[in-house]
Amino acid sequence: MSTIQGAATPAQRVPLSGSLRRGTLPMRRRLVDIASRVLMVVALLIAVVPLFLVIYYVARHGAKLLSAQFLTADIVSPRRSGGGMGPAVVGTLLITGIASLLAIPLGVLGAIYLNEYGRKNALARLIRVMSDVMTGVPSIVMALFIYIAIVLVTKEKTGFAAALALAALMLPVVLRSSEEMLKLVPDELRQASAALGARRWKTTVSVVLPAAISGITSGIMLAIARAAGETTPIVVCAGVATTISWDINAQQTALPAQIFVNAQQPFLPAQDRAWGAALTLMIIVLVFTILARLISSRFAIKNR
Amino acid sequence: MTIKARTLTQKDSGRVTDRAFWFLCVGAGTIVLVVLAAILVSTIRQSWPAISDTGSNGFFSSKLWDPNTGKFGTLAFMFGTVVVSLLAVVLAVPVSIGIALFLTELAHRRVKGFVVTLIDLLASVPSVVFGLWGIFVFAPAMSPVYKWLHNTFGDIPVVGKLFGDVSPLNFMTAGIILAIMIVPIITSITREVFDTVPEADKQAAWALGATRWEMIRGAVLPHSFGGIVGAVMLGLGRAMGETVAVALVIGASIQVTPNLLAPGYSIPAAIVNLFGESTGTFTAALVGMGVVLFIVTVIVNFLAQIVVRRAEIRMKGATA
Amino acid sequence: MNRNVLSRRGFANLSAGVAIAAVAAIALAGCAKDEPKNTTSNAPGISSLSGELKGSGASFPDAYYQEIIAELKTKAPNLKITYNPVGSGTGKKEFAGGLNDFAGTDSTVKDADNVPAGSYLYVPTVAAPITVSYNLKGVSNLQLSASTLAKIFQRTVKTWNDPAIAADNPGVTLPATAITVAHRSDASGTTSNFTKFLVAAAGPDWTLASGDTVNWPTDTVGGAKNTGVATLVKQTDGTIGYVDLADAKAAGLVFASIKNKAGKFIAPTLDGAQAALAGAEVKDDLTYNPLNAAGDTAYPITAPTYFLVKPHYDSPEKAKLVKEFVKYVLTDGASLAAEVNFATLPDSIKTKALAQLDKVS
Repeated sequence: MSTIQGAATPAQRVPLSGSLRRGTLPMRRRLVDIASRVLMVVALLIAVVPLFLVIYYVARHGAKLLSAQFLTADIVSPRRSGGGMGPAVVGTLLITGIASLLAIPLGVLGAIYLNEYGRKNALARLIRVMSDVMTGVPSIVMALFIYIAIVLVTKEKTGFAAALALAALMLPVVLRSSEEMLKLVPDELRQASAALGARRWKTTVSVVLPAAISGITSGIMLAIARAAGETTPIVVCAGVATTISWDINAQQTALPAQIFVNAQQPFLPAQDRAWGAALTLMIIVLVFTILARLISSRFAIKNR
Repeated sequence: MTIKARTLTQKDSGRVTDRAFWFLCVGAGTIVLVVLAAILVSTIRQSWPAISDTGSNGFFSSKLWDPNTGKFGTLAFMFGTVVVSLLAVVLAVPVSIGIALFLTELAHRRVKGFVVTLIDLLASVPSVVFGLWGIFVFAPAMSPVYKWLHNTFGDIPVVGKLFGDVSPLNFMTAGIILAIMIVPIITSITREVFDTVPEADKQAAWALGATRWEMIRGAVLPHSFGGIVGAVMLGLGRAMGETVAVALVIGASIQVTPNLLAPGYSIPAAIVNLFGESTGTFTAALVGMGVVLFIVTVIVNFLAQIVVRRAEIRMKGATA
Repeated sequence: MNRNVLSRRGFANLSAGVAIAAVAAIALAGCAKDEPKNTTSNAPGISSLSGELKGSGASFPDAYYQEIIAELKTKAPNLKITYNPVGSGTGKKEFAGGLNDFAGTDSTVKDADNVPAGSYLYVPTVAAPITVSYNLKGVSNLQLSASTLAKIFQRTVKTWNDPAIAADNPGVTLPATAITVAHRSDASGTTSNFTKFLVAAAGPDWTLASGDTVNWPTDTVGGAKNTGVATLVKQTDGTIGYVDLADAKAAGLVFASIKNKAGKFIAPTLDGAQAALAGAEVKDDLTYNPLNAAGDTAYPITAPTYFLVKPHYDSPEKAKLVKEFVKYVLTDGASLAAEVNFATLPDSIKTKALAQLDKVS
């Protein structure tokens, strides 16, 4: 019982109900706890099993078709067997490559603005918010936009238009992930560089950027992997190609578009080629994703 | 790291370079704003003929879609988009929360890294590959399951309408595949949110003798509610915009029906499937649907960002 | 200083790599602009031609046209031909809009297609049976009459063991499976011909008229192009749909024998098609109608297909390319037709077609 002056009461001693072992818990609480653990693991399995199933089936159905000939031969009519995905492989490399060349410098420079110059000012905050919004823009909308802005104006579908659409999809991803990496660079480096008399831009280019480069590279590779798998810009803007062409201003096709078209055919040879193309695409995507992880984990700036 | 002092010395021309560099960076940053605005303006302008032709009411509320006679009622597509996205969210959220809890509360340090890699791999699988697997492997495999659902539940008065006549490519298949695709994004945001729960609260729960589940229920989940809502909204936004996987497995049928086992259509699937053969007003109608999708996903994403950010600020303080 | 922070050397390496990749990509993209020269040599025949031809339209004859194009790749390497099977309706629209050099269509030009009179000529190319393909476990020899077909596609007959179907198939046990009707979702000449047959043969039983598009009942499924319908039929047990013979065979589908005007049930074969073509009357503009033809062995749903060509092309080179290509399709290429399940024209129609082609300038 406390006194009115608020003298502290000695803590009421609650008699311990026996030992502290888990076995003394009532059965219901224990069962609920175990059930919850099981459910968490089940949730994990529900998400992970499809991943393995997809990889397994793609490997199984696609492997029988995968060969140097498949990767370089021209595309044939869906009813015939043979042929290959040569134009699609070239198209994927070309379109994703040009898109990366457009998006990466813009994204990295924009991230430099956000983190080194803009920081918390109004423009920087607006760009951050809008860039997050832009990551959520469906790829079909981006493809339609480029179709209206470029394809309808020039009256022809080209690989370049598709590359523009892909670049627009990659830009916000590269921007935000590069900004996160730049944030991790310790301020001491910038201050030391300034103390030695370097200009802002020199500091950024010679000190900050090299320090963050592994994280930025990893982010870029993830963006490239995502871009390589995008279908809608190719279907809407790039047209159709059945022979290999290295001309970005001609109609092109790419692996995702070929998978999409062939998956809807009733002819077995076309369906087989879809699996083969899917395996090729998966290999490209997986290689980039795993490389990105390796780079970021081996060379990352450790958090202070 | 050696930095030669001389290379960093200030020169007067450095001022110009500094300014130029600043301009370059600002320009690069503002391109994002320019592109977003351009998307909005050009798509609305392009789609205007279709919306005004059909009368803006007919465009949004009519089920009749017949390009050959100039009728563009998009209700069936909007219905399909909503159904499939809600289905995906309902299926994905419990799974994602379970995985996030597993990663933050249950997992060993080594298991954690492995599982995170798996979830990232799941996120990196292209949508078209999911669609391919869906149409050739998953849908046929699920057919017997759907038939069982139809036979068991089809006759119950109200709920039975959800399980009508079975078609192998239907809303349910699309919903399930979408759910698998949005699990990674919901999981990653939810994990971040769970990570911000103060350790003290958790310790307090342990100290009071709670089991792990009771600790989660009492300390982790209440704190994280706002963040989870934000994560769910982000997942919803992603699901609504998903095009190719849905286009391949939803069955391409223009109808409004409560039957989840029936084929349907969604806005992005319709755009990508019908675009090739469209001309004139037809194309404008498709672009108009794209505008609707754009505005809705932007709003959902925007709100989601606000919710997540507010939750983060509450946890981490204003420096978040 | 932390060893984990990369030195300037790492950055230099990376930027060098990126620069090399960039230069390589630009070089590869910029070079190899293979613009085919629009010149034609004086030597006759298609093998010496060079240029580009764009065609689009019906998916019905696509199997045949793609076969020709593949053949010409080796025979005329400088000639780049593309044929995009977007459906007869879209093909006609693109022809009117100047988006293609020639259009493929199974159906004649109507007012709704907006192709001005006098801006096109019909050139018949091949013909083929439209199969009524179905997917029904345990049944492989289905026979159907026109009125049963009409009832099925109008959804008045809804299950496979309906008495109407049983009447056409004496002695066959039909399962109680529900019928799923598959049709074209795009504007199609195949639909036009199929429904034209139903109008002619099923009389009052068919109420949906005919045309590139039809108001199908709502509980049916639509697929894009012939291949789309073939996919639908293949997917679900109990589905029935109309698909051209080439695609149906390539997709491994089973087709029904249809009752012809003489009362016999005929399977869709090239012989049946040839029999239907034999008696067909050709109009002045070279359109003809082999549907519901007389004759004991005629397959009643034989459909014609045409090229639409311009009577006058802006450039004489383009006109020459079109003429040589269509001539090839009608003459040398015709030997490929049977391989891919298409029936060539009887000589009478063929001479008229070639004469029509001469009018192109």
